[in-house]
Amino acid sequence: MSEVEAQYRVSGLAKFFQRGPTTVRALDGVDLEIAAGEFVALEGPSGSGKTTLLQLLGALDRPSSGDVIFEGRDLVRLPDRELASLRLGSFGFVFQQFNLIPTLTALENVEAKLAPTGVDDIEGRAERLLEEVGLAERAHHLPAHLSGGEQQRVAIARALSVEPRVVLADEPTGNLDTKTGGEIIELLAGLAAEHGSTVIVATHDATLAERAPRRLSMRDGRLVGIAAVA
Amino acid sequence: MLTLLGLGLGVGLVIVISSLSRGLDHAQKKTLDPLAGIGTDLTVTLSPQQQTGGFGGPFAGGGGRDRDLIAANQSVLTDLSKLGKPGQHFVHDFFLPGSQLTFQQSSVSQIASMPGVASVTTGLTLLAEHQDGIVPKIVATLKTQRRTFQIQRNIPRPTAAQFAAMQACFAKLRGSNSSGNGGSGNGNNGSGAGGSLGGNGSGNGGGFGGGFGGGVDRGAFAKCLPASLRRLRTQFTTPQQTLRQVLNPPQTNIKTSAYTIGGVDQTHPTQGLVTTSQVTRGRFLSAAGGREALVSGSYAARNSLKLGSKIDLNGTSFVVVGIVAPPLGGQSADVYLPLKQLQTLAGQKGLVNVALVRADKSSEVSQVQKAISTALPNAQVASSKQVADTISGSLVNASNLSHDLGFAISAVAALAAFLLAALLALSSVGKRVRELGTLKALGWTQGKVVRQIAGESLTTGVLGGIVGVALGLIGVLIVDAWGEKLTASSTSGGASGLFGQLASATQRTATSTVSLTAPVGVSVLAIGFALALLGGLIAGTAGAMRAARLRPADALRQVE
Repeated sequence: MSEVEAQYRVSGLAKFFQRGPTTVRALDGVDLEIAAGEFVALEGPSGSGKTTLLQLLGALDRPSSGDVIFEGRDLVRLPDRELASLRLGSFGFVFQQFNLIPTLTALENVEAKLAPTGVDDIEGRAERLLEEVGLAERAHHLPAHLSGGEQQRVAIARALSVEPRVVLADEPTGNLDTKTGGEIIELLAGLAAEHGSTVIVATHDATLAERAPRRLSMRDGRLVGIAAVA
Repeated sequence: MLTLLGLGLGVGLVIVISSLSRGLDHAQKKTLDPLAGIGTDLTVTLSPQQQTGGFGGPFAGGGGRDRDLIAANQSVLTDLSKLGKPGQHFVHDFFLPGSQLTFQQSSVSQIASMPGVASVTTGLTLLAEHQDGIVPKIVATLKTQRRTFQIQRNIPRPTAAQFAAMQACFAKLRGSNSSGNGGSGNGNNGSGAGGSLGGNGSGNGGGFGGGFGGGVDRGAFAKCLPASLRRLRTQFTTPQQTLRQVLNPPQTNIKTSAYTIGGVDQTHPTQGLVTTSQVTRGRFLSAAGGREALVSGSYAARNSLKLGSKIDLNGTSFVVVGIVAPPLGGQSADVYLPLKQLQTLAGQKGLVNVALVRADKSSEVSQVQKAISTALPNAQVASSKQVADTISGSLVNASNLSHDLGFAISAVAALAAFLLAALLALSSVGKRVRELGTLKALGWTQGKVVRQIAGESLTTGVLGGIVGVALGLIGVLIVDAWGEKLTASSTSGGASGLFGQLASATQRTATSTVSLTAPVGVSVLAIGFALALLGGLIAGTAGAMRAARLRPADALRQVE
């Protein structure tokens, strides 16, 4: 992995939370490099720091110490406005809880991501994306009227709508049955490859992790072994 | 949705309450400002409440006022036999001055000439008893016997000088021997008072006639006696008289209904017992003062009188030309006639019992009041406010309540609506922290998130306001349809206990009933609307700002 190719360069990354008198070390010194277009699985039990690492990579949070350099820019030093702009244009998130806006239809949820970018034909783009995830017919349904799998498809469509350079998925199959989870993984992997996005998936689903060419394992806020499949 | 309904409820509440408050205020203004409506600042009356005996000035009534009042009011209690033969049907209206003594109409010129007085008009308000029934037979006629009283007194011994004079006189009489005339006494016929009252009016002072009848000699002889020796032998006789007396108040089919009647100076249509502004239907009395009458709305309703109806008062027919809504207070009446007509009818020619005074400036009212009180110490001078104070009833209570608390209630309701809107908006934002975190994760800037929420709050506020206005209007309609009756009554006169049963007869009670309505003002609607909008907007935006400032990771971590 050459230095030129590295999209992410993470060094000494730590994140502490104060829970009453004790300090929780969610991340305790992570060094990592990820190349553009990689499909990375982040494995580990609950509380090992996967979500925290994803949030720091996606500029949803700021670390207690360390650096996250994304495409040559240190996220730690960027102002909120720049981070928002990065989240909008460069990152796509897929959450375990789907996190769709409950009052918006499937289509509107996708549009909500596209709207601030100021691109043309927001509705057309959103419709095409829902078509890609196989939900063209359910475009005007509210999330409450969609199944878990369908909601996650909407979330994927939303994440990919702006052609992000990185898709960050936190336990995307955690709330789905095995079959649906499998379909979602297929979709995510296929579309990410199609759109040329880097995919970083946090999971404790072995099936999903096995699909990833590169698997990172976490324990207690640290990376414990880097298993790269040749 | 919940936010919207909550807001609507709050706005509706504010609208209903403040409309109610306004309605009460309206009712109060209409009813409880008794003198303003009749172009008057002060009323001047004579009332018998003080026992001051005789008093001077133009309002002199002479004698004890109570006696005057009883005398003035007793006509209705007298002799029903005057109405016709027993067994005959009769209809009669008795007019009593009530608790206000009458005075000469011309005497008000003294008030008119006082500084600060713009104009003075007079009025005559009388209590009227309308009786209708069969003349009863229970009137007893008592004949008293002629009775003669004799009084004798002993004569003191004459002095020596008197004796000598007597001797000389006798001697001279014997000489002349002329026949003298018997002194004819001056019959001082006492006229029997009492008469119709049938009281104990005893004819005093019988004929002092008679005198020293006897022989001619004796009469002449008597002249020789000195004054002190003339034997006081006098006699007086009470005249024969007939007393008629109502033995017991008859239990007949006589129906009595009381009402008040006012004599209006129709030449002053803007100032008086009733004015043009109180005419709700028809017209005011014409200046000519013909046989026309105005009746109050409630009296008209009670007696099914309409414009053009005729009122027959002891043989004189009056045409109802207008229905009026007289203000409450001491001088309101059920029926109004031109002053002269009433004076004639009631046998009170030239007499009035109230003077209505208008001051030049409202600021001078109290000065004028003082001046009149000083000039006429026995007159009662009442200002608008004092008259208002005599009015009581549910309307007054409600109105006082509304006056005292109306604003507070409105303010509390408005505050409640505001807080409710704020709370609901805040809680709705609180529930959406995760959603806002998601939006931020999607790349929305803090500003855009806040703007979005503010916009939504605005929409919710507008919708809530519309719902609230609708709810408020419905509430107001319900209140109007329900139309609770509020009454106000004013009692004047009838000094308690002074004249026993008369007290209740002279008490004048006027009652006015106003339906409670809740007039909706555009301002009320606007205020309710604006409050809900503002509450929702401020709270929503504040909540959104707090939530949006969270890092997306923290916002997402919030459990729903």
